Amino acid sequence: MWENFAAGSLALFSDPFTVAIFVFGVLGGMLFGAIPGVSMLTLAAILLPFTASLTPAQGVMLFAVIYCTGTYGGAITAILFNIPGAPENAPTAFDGYPMTRQGKSGKAVGAAVLCSAIGGVASALVMMAATEPLANWAIRNIGPPEIFALVFFGLAVASSVGGRSIWKGWMSVLLGLIIATIGQDPVGGINRYNFGFTDLAAGIAFVPAILGFFAVSEIFVQAEKKATGKFDAPKVGMSFPSFLEIWAHRIAVVRSILVGFFCGILPGIGATLAAFMGYGEAVRWSRDKEGFGKGKLEGVISSETANNAATGAAMIPLLALGLPGGALTAMMVAVFQMHDLEPGPLVFYNSPELIWIVFAAMFYANLSILFIGLVETKTILYLLKIPFQFLAPMILLLASIGSYIGRGLVLDVIVMFGAGIIGFLLRRSGYSIPGIVLGIILGKIGEQNFAQGMQMVHYDLGTYFSRPICLILIVAGALTLLAGIYKAVGSSRSTASQ
Amino acid sequence: MKNYIGLSALAGLLVMASGTASAFECKVKDATMAKPDGFPSRALTMIVPYGPAGGSGQVAAAMAEAVTGHTDVAINRDHKPGGSGTVGMTAYMAAPADGYNVLEHIDDASSAHALDSSRPNPAADLVPLVVSQVTFSQVYIRTNETRYTDWTSFVKWVKAQDGKATIANVSKEGSMERVTMKFITDATGMEIQQISFDKGAPRYGALLGGQVDALFEQPGDVRKFLDADNFKPILTIFNERPGVFADVPTHKEMGMDFEPLLRFRGFYVHKDAPADRVKWLQWAFQRGYCQDSYQAFNESKFMNVIDSYRDTAGAIDLINASVDQYREVYKSMGMDVK
Repeated sequence: MWENFAAGSLALFSDPFTVAIFVFGVLGGMLFGAIPGVSMLTLAAILLPFTASLTPAQGVMLFAVIYCTGTYGGAITAILFNIPGAPENAPTAFDGYPMTRQGKSGKAVGAAVLCSAIGGVASALVMMAATEPLANWAIRNIGPPEIFALVFFGLAVASSVGGRSIWKGWMSVLLGLIIATIGQDPVGGINRYNFGFTDLAAGIAFVPAILGFFAVSEIFVQAEKKATGKFDAPKVGMSFPSFLEIWAHRIAVVRSILVGFFCGILPGIGATLAAFMGYGEAVRWSRDKEGFGKGKLEGVISSETANNAATGAAMIPLLALGLPGGALTAMMVAVFQMHDLEPGPLVFYNSPELIWIVFAAMFYANLSILFIGLVETKTILYLLKIPFQFLAPMILLLASIGSYIGRGLVLDVIVMFGAGIIGFLLRRSGYSIPGIVLGIILGKIGEQNFAQGMQMVHYDLGTYFSRPICLILIVAGALTLLAGIYKAVGSSRSTASQ
Repeated sequence: MKNYIGLSALAGLLVMASGTASAFECKVKDATMAKPDGFPSRALTMIVPYGPAGGSGQVAAAMAEAVTGHTDVAINRDHKPGGSGTVGMTAYMAAPADGYNVLEHIDDASSAHALDSSRPNPAADLVPLVVSQVTFSQVYIRTNETRYTDWTSFVKWVKAQDGKATIANVSKEGSMERVTMKFITDATGMEIQQISFDKGAPRYGALLGGQVDALFEQPGDVRKFLDADNFKPILTIFNERPGVFADVPTHKEMGMDFEPLLRFRGFYVHKDAPADRVKWLQWAFQRGYCQDSYQAFNESKFMNVIDSYRDTAGAIDLINASVDQYREVYKSMGMDVK
């Protein structure tokens, strides 16, 4: 492995043009990931035709690097402005933005930089060591029933985050799950809750919902405070997390690497589930569960470690089997095909030099996050000094563009503002915005896999339990729910008796 | 077996399934065409009702590149995925019918119109500029499968499973896949559970990993798995054996008497667009099909295995035949045909 890695590194850095492409990918991914309204997918779509004039290794490497740094880039806006650059950065906002409000933006961004790099590098190393066996294990052992069980487990664990009470947390998740059912059902293609509107048949897109619930509702909240004289501008916190602070969360980091990697390796799942599961596991194992959603460093660490750990993992089914894990890896298939190549087992035999340049580039791209991220962070944090009356319209404008640009539908802008208003009202009542977003995103993944799983087990729910991984995850999720109910009931009784 | 094909559809289907491809010869002889009143004076917009990475997104990109390459007219692709293509179609019908907006769509538009005639008819409400991909479906198993090795042993094995066998496809209500599977199960008497995956990767992964027993797909979409010897076709759903699959039996050879439903992708313009502009677009897109870049793309997708080209008249025949056939099948399946 190390010999191949050295050869890949040499090939990467011995050609100035290849180095220039690498640097462009690193910076471009970070930039497009960080600007609200566009994403690494936007950059990838723009660049796709130009990859035809690159060598296959350069083209695939460029996309792989954008994937690594773009996944990190969205964390910055999630932390500073409550605008996740992509769905996989949404859990980062759960605690990152409250930290900003508390004047701890430097710590949150610093942790995101460091943990994105750690997660990404670890993932790249495992990818280099064991791509083929891991890919084969995943497709043989993880099918729709297991993915549904994983989502159920994740929902059970993380559903209490951010609500004023556990009941309100669960109600928030249920609302998200209901919203996720809007549009065609994922298996039969039957329209649901679209009220005759064709555009609603496509369902509620993630990005407008996230921008509405997070960014727009936050602007309404701050605007209300401004109007009532209670506005407190976020303080620019320049202090980075110390080594000891990160070390104190070493178990959370390792756990998120494992969770992120596991989710990333599943075809069609990718970094979004990884981030939510990483965050959920942090909540599950924490002694201070109530602190999550209110500005806990561990929340940022877990989410950002997990989503970057998924980047290397998502390359495994793509390269070993030709199965892309998400939208960007699907575009990588097109890059391969533009050069008369197909990702899959034959690539390892036919183009090993391509594989190892890509592996090496992903390793160095994740390291670059650390160095470039720490340098740029000092500058980015000063964005918080922009007065609210200027910042709020800018955010609304960028969020509107970001909502519209994905599908070119006015509906998505309406959804964004609707979600902003609903989010504003629900936050006043103590409901959980992270819970709603969690429900929307995991609901879509979960429903699709549940329906497919039910078809696979011939609509016999009991058969789910005959699959060991499925059984373990469902039982663990059910126990988590029961423990939550027990705790909530106990808490209600003690409140009543006082 | 019950034959779902009406006489009216049969005539059209003879046109539709017009045999295997021969050496490529461009049907559009004119290499240039004067722009009518300077049209187009700016970039065209191509609405694509699916995402950029899938089969439709790729064919849209390849055709846009080919048309731009020989006309110097830029084409902006506007992807509007969702609702099985209905979102993009609705957006297109609402766009100005000035010739600057064109549409990419697949046979789903025909089946949607067959089920609900209030949906746009691609052969009447639109003018097909060119159908540039026509392909057939196959049933695949893993190459290292030992429980069955060909269609006959597969059918025997499935029957022995008492309904527990599974096949991955896109089995949404009224889809080409579901209809064809109904033909197959009715003809063979086998009962098989269809697992619907709307994305390719999980669908192919399901077969690779042994989560399902077989896969219903078109050869271009699984070419890499065929080249890598991961999958092998055991049944071709087409009236004759295409040359590259000469050792794979057709459904008719296996005793199934139904006309195959084909998957096709093409490009359209609104029927109310000015006639001279439509004529220029027909030339531009039909000639685009002839470009080397597009031919190379089609070859990479196994789209040169049978004749993939239909000009406007050929496309209308293809669509009308498909609509008739879908409509008769839907009625026979008890579906609410409007």
